[in-house]
Amino acid sequence: MICINNVSKTLGEFHLDRINLEINEGEYFVIIGPTGSGKTILLETIAGIYSPDEGDITLNQKSLTNLPPRNRNISMVYQDFMLFPHMTVEQNIGFGLKNKKTDADVIKKRVLEITKIFGISHLLYRHPGTLSGGEKQRAAICRAVLMDPVLLLLDEPLSALDSRTRELLRSELKKFHGMYNTTILHITHNYEEVFSLADRVALMHKGEILQTGTPDDVFEKPKTEFIAEFVGFENLYQGIFVLRDGISSVEISGVDIRHNNSPTVREEESAKICIRSENIRISREKVSDTDVNVIFCKILDIIDNGSFVKIIADAGFILNSVMMKKSFNSEELKTGDTAYACFDFDSVHIIQ
Amino acid sequence: MRNIKNLNAVKVITIAVSLIITLFIITLLLLVVTHPAPGTIINALGTKEIQFAIYLSLITSVTSTIICICIAVPAAYALARYDFFGKTIVNMVVDIPLALPPLVAGVGLLLFFGTTAFGDFLESVGLVFVFTPLGIIVAQVFVNLPFMLRIMRSTFTDINPRYEYVAETLGCTHFQAIYRVVLPMSFNGFLAGSVITWAKGIGEFGAALLLAGATRMKTETLPISLFLNMSCGDLELAISAATILIAISVVSLFIFEKYGGSAKF
Repeated sequence: MICINNVSKTLGEFHLDRINLEINEGEYFVIIGPTGSGKTILLETIAGIYSPDEGDITLNQKSLTNLPPRNRNISMVYQDFMLFPHMTVEQNIGFGLKNKKTDADVIKKRVLEITKIFGISHLLYRHPGTLSGGEKQRAAICRAVLMDPVLLLLDEPLSALDSRTRELLRSELKKFHGMYNTTILHITHNYEEVFSLADRVALMHKGEILQTGTPDDVFEKPKTEFIAEFVGFENLYQGIFVLRDGISSVEISGVDIRHNNSPTVREEESAKICIRSENIRISREKVSDTDVNVIFCKILDIIDNGSFVKIIADAGFILNSVMMKKSFNSEELKTGDTAYACFDFDSVHIIQ
Repeated sequence: MRNIKNLNAVKVITIAVSLIITLFIITLLLLVVTHPAPGTIINALGTKEIQFAIYLSLITSVTSTIICICIAVPAAYALARYDFFGKTIVNMVVDIPLALPPLVAGVGLLLFFGTTAFGDFLESVGLVFVFTPLGIIVAQVFVNLPFMLRIMRSTFTDINPRYEYVAETLGCTHFQAIYRVVLPMSFNGFLAGSVITWAKGIGEFGAALLLAGATRMKTETLPISLFLNMSCGDLELAISAATILIAISVVSLFIFEKYGGSAKF
């Protein structure tokens, strides 16, 4: 298990503030956060490029903090590949094993094995300058994993690629992880990578880890308003807890919103709630299900985004809804119409 | 036919200026190389004096270039990679010889080696720089070091330090990462810097004149030969030296443009 204990580091304008993380053996751990949140510095500190100002990094309870990068057996892949341009793909991939003075025949054999997995065995004698972005990144990943690292650090490895290549390489990474069970720490700002790859995810902002959990935990139950906004909640409201006929709700601009949370709050305490736009359905008819909030509203704007439609409505507060175009069309709604915003009690999340 | 009213005045004026200056430079160079009768340069190359000047120029310029490389490469790496106290001042001071008139540099060197205790000490251990070929090397190093330094600093700055980080995670020490990754990647800048430093060294005159003097067949490099022969009216030998220097300049500039890439000086 890799443990990052209270690690702090200041580097120019960037800083890490008492980072604590535990990454289990064989886990695919993703850190997500906006640009400039210190994700790359964290990876470089784990790799040993920078020494932490405070704190300790351990592998199976043995400290790595004072070891130089070459003795950590931690490999790193950057967004912009960093393939050595004066070497062929084969020389790049075998570079680490050559440093370990591995026999040339063994290097050749292992380079061939790993490049077959990533589908680049036909490119071994090419120079990086002649490769496409996807081929370069596959070569960079091969170079890193050939070292059999105890931890593979991936710094936005798919960000510089086109969407089709990104999708392909994402599934190759998943396949590779399934085959070799390598412990991976991957940073990104792409939600799809989190859901398709991560066993667990941590959200980082301004040098701090704000929340850690499974992708569903972090994306459906954000702990702070910032996290809610970052993970895509468009409906964020400040209200107060009310108890009417024994039923707990949150009152926002005179409208009661029911929920299934059981927070330890008192009546009349202020509350922050968030609801995903895609969980709100705008309907001409009033839905009669028992566990659904039904709120009267007026449609202010309809934005057609191709396959889906965004509806902005006034319910005494602004509601954002996203519906599939087909189901929206069936409602035959237009700007200025009155309608009902319907969403499950379960879809209301209370930010603690 | 293109309507003349559509011609952009700024475009016409600026292109005209650049063409005029190009024409002027080419005219000067042609005047020098076509001045002697055909065969004169070949005859001049056969004289002992010109052969000595070529030999001394090659020895001193190659030696000073090697010394410049040995100093400039590590210094440029530090200036490109690290932040340290006084870096701005160091960056500025190491460039001063570029802006300094070579004669002033020569006076400084002459005072340093001729009048200080350190100069006396060097002389006592057999290193005499005043009025000797060693002085030529020192003058060339002092005046031309900033060229190599600036080109290598620019080259190292253009190489993302993450290449080194990756090399280190793949088992290299920091020194090995520089040796196996950074230096091969900076080869073009290194070649361009070396060539331009050597070409500037072979043409160095002012500082070398003051420190090493202009003694025929002793401290007579190609530019000194040009100066001595012009002074005593031997135009053929003077122009032969000038022609060799022009050829070196043109070839060096070509190599610099071809391999220099984004390296700047």
